[in-house]
Amino acid sequence: MAAEASKRGPDGGANDLLNVSCVQHFSTGDGPGIRTTVFLKGCNLHCPWCHNPENISPLPQTLVYPQADKRVSYGRRRSVDDVAAEVLEDLEFYGLNDGTPAAQRGGLTLSGGEPLLQSAVAAVLVRTLEARGVPAVIDTAGCVRWQYFEPFLGHVQAFYFDYKTGDEQRCRELLGGDLSLIRDNLTRLLAAGEPVRVRIPLIPGVNTDIAAIEQICAQLTAAGAGSVDLLPFHRLGSGKYAALGIDYAYKNTPPPGADVIDAARKKYEQYFDCRVE
Amino acid sequence: MLFSSQQIDTTAGLKAEFKNKPDGQFRPDIFRVSGYEKGAADPALSTTVRRALAIRSLFTEPGAYIYKNDLIAGSIRPMFVVPDDAQNAAAAKYAAEFPERWFANNSDHYAPDYRTAVETGIPGLLQKINESKQTHQNEPQKVDFLDSMAITLEALIEKFRQYAAKTDELLRGLRNGDPAAEGYDKGRLEFIKANCEALTRGAPQTFAQGLQLVWMLHHCFVCEGRYAMALGRIDQYLYPLFRADLNRGQTTDTEAEALLANAFAKICETRFRGGDDVVNICIGGVDTDGALAVNELSYCTLRAVRDVNMPGPNLSARIAPGTPDAFLDECLKVIGTGLGYPALMNDAVNMAALRRYGYAEEDVRNYCMVGCIENFMQGQQPPWSDGRFDPINYLEKLFLEPDDDIADMAEFMKRYEKQLEKAVEDYVNATRAAAFVPDPENQTMPFMSCFCQDCIDRGLDINMGGAKYPSVHGAALMGVGTVSDSLAAIEKLVFEEKAVTLSEFAAALKDNYEHYPELRAKALAAPKYGNNDPFVDKYAVWYTQYISDLFRNYRTNDGGGYYTAMAANISNIYAGAGLGATPDGRLAGRPLSDAASPTYGCDTRGVTSTLLSVSKPDYSNCACGTVVNQKFTPSAFVDGKREKLLKLIRVYFERGGQEIQINSTSRETLKDAMEHPENYPSLVVRVSGFSALYVTLAREVQEDILSRTQHEEL
Ligand code: SF4
Repeated sequence: MAAEASKRGPDGGANDLLNVSCVQHFSTGDGPGIRTTVFLKGCNLHCPWCHNPENISPLPQTLVYPQADKRVSYGRRRSVDDVAAEVLEDLEFYGLNDGTPAAQRGGLTLSGGEPLLQSAVAAVLVRTLEARGVPAVIDTAGCVRWQYFEPFLGHVQAFYFDYKTGDEQRCRELLGGDLSLIRDNLTRLLAAGEPVRVRIPLIPGVNTDIAAIEQICAQLTAAGAGSVDLLPFHRLGSGKYAALGIDYAYKNTPPPGADVIDAARKKYEQYFDCRVE
Repeated sequence: MLFSSQQIDTTAGLKAEFKNKPDGQFRPDIFRVSGYEKGAADPALSTTVRRALAIRSLFTEPGAYIYKNDLIAGSIRPMFVVPDDAQNAAAAKYAAEFPERWFANNSDHYAPDYRTAVETGIPGLLQKINESKQTHQNEPQKVDFLDSMAITLEALIEKFRQYAAKTDELLRGLRNGDPAAEGYDKGRLEFIKANCEALTRGAPQTFAQGLQLVWMLHHCFVCEGRYAMALGRIDQYLYPLFRADLNRGQTTDTEAEALLANAFAKICETRFRGGDDVVNICIGGVDTDGALAVNELSYCTLRAVRDVNMPGPNLSARIAPGTPDAFLDECLKVIGTGLGYPALMNDAVNMAALRRYGYAEEDVRNYCMVGCIENFMQGQQPPWSDGRFDPINYLEKLFLEPDDDIADMAEFMKRYEKQLEKAVEDYVNATRAAAFVPDPENQTMPFMSCFCQDCIDRGLDINMGGAKYPSVHGAALMGVGTVSDSLAAIEKLVFEEKAVTLSEFAAALKDNYEHYPELRAKALAAPKYGNNDPFVDKYAVWYTQYISDLFRNYRTNDGGGYYTAMAANISNIYAGAGLGATPDGRLAGRPLSDAASPTYGCDTRGVTSTLLSVSKPDYSNCACGTVVNQKFTPSAFVDGKREKLLKLIRVYFERGGQEIQINSTSRETLKDAMEHPENYPSLVVRVSGFSALYVTLAREVQEDILSRTQHEEL
């Protein structure tokens, strides 16, 4: 199933609409500077801890929060121009002309879901904005065919490349993903000299023990990675699961303690330039 | 070193002493009685001299109180009394005979001329008064007023003597093992004594003496029963003394911070009489030459207010285009502690607004704030007054007798403008009448006049032509969001979509939408201010310009300007309580939008969109000032994230935003949001790759955030 999912073609090839889940202005955790994050709907993985469950299915969904008397709808087909215009509204905030070094400027972050599933149209968005000087960060789980990366090469500020586990079987069974594909893509991106930040979610019981960390470190070193960001698990998404009427396997899992985070950081620091988000 | 460094502590000691509250009532009137009685004995004395004598007894009869943890002395504790019937009757008699001015006729919300006071000293001011008496020797009324000023300043000198004497008494007590002196510190007492004695003799020679002078003056204004007395630009007028101390190696930043915190903490003493004071303190900006003015003392002041960490000291930071990022970042750090201060003021806009009123350029550059945010010419104009103007009420009038013949939005706006024109005229007439004092010559304020340019030179009271500039009035315009959203809904539903006629709309409003749920849904779905949508934002632009223009046609009684403001405190709640449903979908009785902010919860696209909208109006129309509130969770203030807030503020100010008040949500707020989600519709939690409205989070997740917040505060 995993292999099948990762073979699915970019739906954007057929038309020039993006399947946008939502757009978030003033995102502060999704890259340098002030960012506008465009969440694209649809993912080919199904990480059981996922904090954006509304972005997994490509179909429109409405989340209902009775306690806050709120309904929020996700999923709308939008043209590149429409999305670009919304991102450009915040142009002044990105710091493009104030002496901020290129690597630290704000801009667009494409997230999801898996934004590379809509590679062709997403690339048009990225290039449209690039023409206006707005840099893009692509937040990907990396489990797509290499061709989906190609239109972005040389055109992004950074790939934020998730690396969730170093265990092939776990990757297949837990996430529905093909680890060798993920590893290949990461290796190729790094070999091509693309700016990559590897992002590792620290998931209790999955990748926080020393053996799991060692395994990941070995694979990342082999791939040529130099830096990693650690993203401690949080269960902020559990309200969304409830609103979707889905059971959340991690709803009773508290965030990892400072000791766990610290131990992981120490380990990763032996190999990489490491930052905890 | 002026006092040994082991004596520097946080304000914890003072706060602990505050826990022991004084008995009785805060009663300035009781202490005025004997002064008035003394005056009554001599029928030849003028009213103003009798007022001055009352101030003398007010300043000198209560006596001195020094806290064990004091470094800068001056406490209102002795002002608390339990009066008997006879005392009450006497106080009432004199209160009736000598009515005091109040807010509506310019008595508080004032920033005294502390610069001159610090440069000249009290004996120096007395000398100036003498010189002015020579100049005006043939004008008995002026001589009389100058005499009354001198009486109050001599009383102040007496107060300093009393404080010095009190330190002597406590020092003796320490030597003799007197229980009353237990817990006092010899070094502190000697420090206070030396400073107070020096101030009886001349101008302050050290930073500590300068601060002691300013604090005692502020204390005297509080004794007079005034509130919202601002300290103004303390980082500027005390800087020369601070610099001189530094050069002599006699002080450090840490010491200055401790002294400032020690003084500021006592602002919170006003809690003893009920409620928090709002003492505005202004830092940063530019100096009178236009050069950037942030200095070491600006940072000390910022940190001192943080150390106090209580409402009362109301810190404002003037941010000029060139103000260093480091300073703005330090401001954000303090805001991030959960204090909510400093409010960030856009210097460029405020100065542009003040320039419209003909003040000298160096005075414009030297502006500060009184009260919450009101721009003020420090020590150069009579105390502030303001009132509430509710433009939405006059929109409501158009729905009382709806006219379906109105062809388009332009005509509708013309009708609304006509209503506003009349409403502003009525407002001005009412406030001018309220500010009118039947017997101004007798309602003098001799003490305050000593601290306003050019009262001494002219021999005139602050409210009687003594002040360099005339009095101004601030009209606080309510509900820019509610009005803009309502006009957008009318344009959209009545004139564009023709989904409803004005009279149908009127019926729905009268019915509080009860039988019109579909119309209400449409009204709520119409464009809302705060989403960077030009369709509705244009009405906020119009509102700011049109109404301010109307007010600019008028002058206060003594020829000053009618400023406008968009700053509500909580009056938007009162303004909304008495108002029926509005065309934006708001139900009857609900609050109006707050200050210059969009309607709460209606700016749904995120803070950049909010600020893009809110920076569209030309705030150089609002010389009084505006307020835009934004809340962020504490994680927005950590290292590596503050720079994003900083950029946000810079862009907002470049675009012409006038003010932003940023809050870091405290644990209490987050807890409250769990219990009352309806009050926090737009509080966002941001983490990598994720964000959510706080109120939509599951309860255990809110608990996670709470526990993290506690962690960050430790
Ligand atoms: S890859 Fe990301 S979006 Fe997709 S399921 Fe996993 S966590 Fe969720």
